[in-house]
Amino acid sequence: MSLSRIHPDARREFLDGCRDIAPVLVGTVPFGFVAGVAAVGAGMTPLQGIALSFFAFSGIAQLVVAQLVAVQSPIAVTLLAAFVVSLRFLMYSAALSPHLAHLTARWRVLLTYLMTDQVFGMGVKRYSDPGDRGRRHWHLFGIGITLWAFWQASVIAGAILGAQVPAAWSLDFVVTLSFLVLLVPAVRTRADIAAAVVAGAAALLAAGLPYRLSLVVASLAGIAAGVAVEWKHRR
Amino acid sequence: MSDAAVWLVIVGSGVVTFLTRASFILFADPHRFPHAFRLALAFVPPAVLAAIVIPGLVSPAGTIDFSLANPRWIAGLVAIVVAMRVRNALASILAGMATLWLLQALSL
Repeated sequence: MSLSRIHPDARREFLDGCRDIAPVLVGTVPFGFVAGVAAVGAGMTPLQGIALSFFAFSGIAQLVVAQLVAVQSPIAVTLLAAFVVSLRFLMYSAALSPHLAHLTARWRVLLTYLMTDQVFGMGVKRYSDPGDRGRRHWHLFGIGITLWAFWQASVIAGAILGAQVPAAWSLDFVVTLSFLVLLVPAVRTRADIAAAVVAGAAALLAAGLPYRLSLVVASLAGIAAGVAVEWKHRR
Repeated sequence: MSDAAVWLVIVGSGVVTFLTRASFILFADPHRFPHAFRLALAFVPPAVLAAIVIPGLVSPAGTIDFSLANPRWIAGLVAIVVAMRVRNALASILAGMATLWLLQALSL
């Protein structure tokens, strides 16, 4: 499908999406590189590291899987950890689904595959703007495909070049910062604060658990804390 | 881990991430689920993101370290303040990395 054959509004939404995501790529590129390095560092071949990225297309899932492959975790435990870090997709999926309900199955499968934290955050922001929303999936597609292309290129570079970047650059900190910039706007209410504080503290306290189960335990504890505060607050 | 096991993990990770993303877009109507479930979903992002971020700031080497030997929690604080003030992912990431590099250079 050529870009000149689609509706002008759709094309404008698509190009806006490509442009809107640009500032985020500054974090995406080093993060992808780190994910590629981590996969090879865990003992995967470069091809396996790249395949993981094409299948999962999720930075944190790729990093967690690499960490668990490195310590020879059982397959079920590795996939459980990938599931827990992907739980947030349930919430994104629920929030996006009304906007995408009118689309064909092919469009919904494509946008499902491309949905990440950043795609969700920016896409939902666009849907909240006033005006006709009928072609805003093109905006979502523009964000998603741009992020996808830069992400995969960075992962490939990381998997092939490997650990040639000096450790003193501390490039891995980009990973923490990439999630920090999502965390800050996600914390708005008192209940959000409770969820974040309890999850963060639990992650530190449970750090000794094997197979990075601390992530599972801490996430569930944080969710429970948020729900508890919300319920108490409503009464 | 054997080669076959690694490939199983790779494909399995793809299935797990796709199914969580697809959950409501492709399969279910969120309004059909109990209120408590939807309430819990709302706290997934702050909880999961904090469980990833906080250890990355406070215990990058595996043990809790609030000293100057660990510049990451300070760099993280700077990034948080910038994120709250300007709401710009790029500015926040750059501020965090710049602070980390500065503190690392000072401690050499």
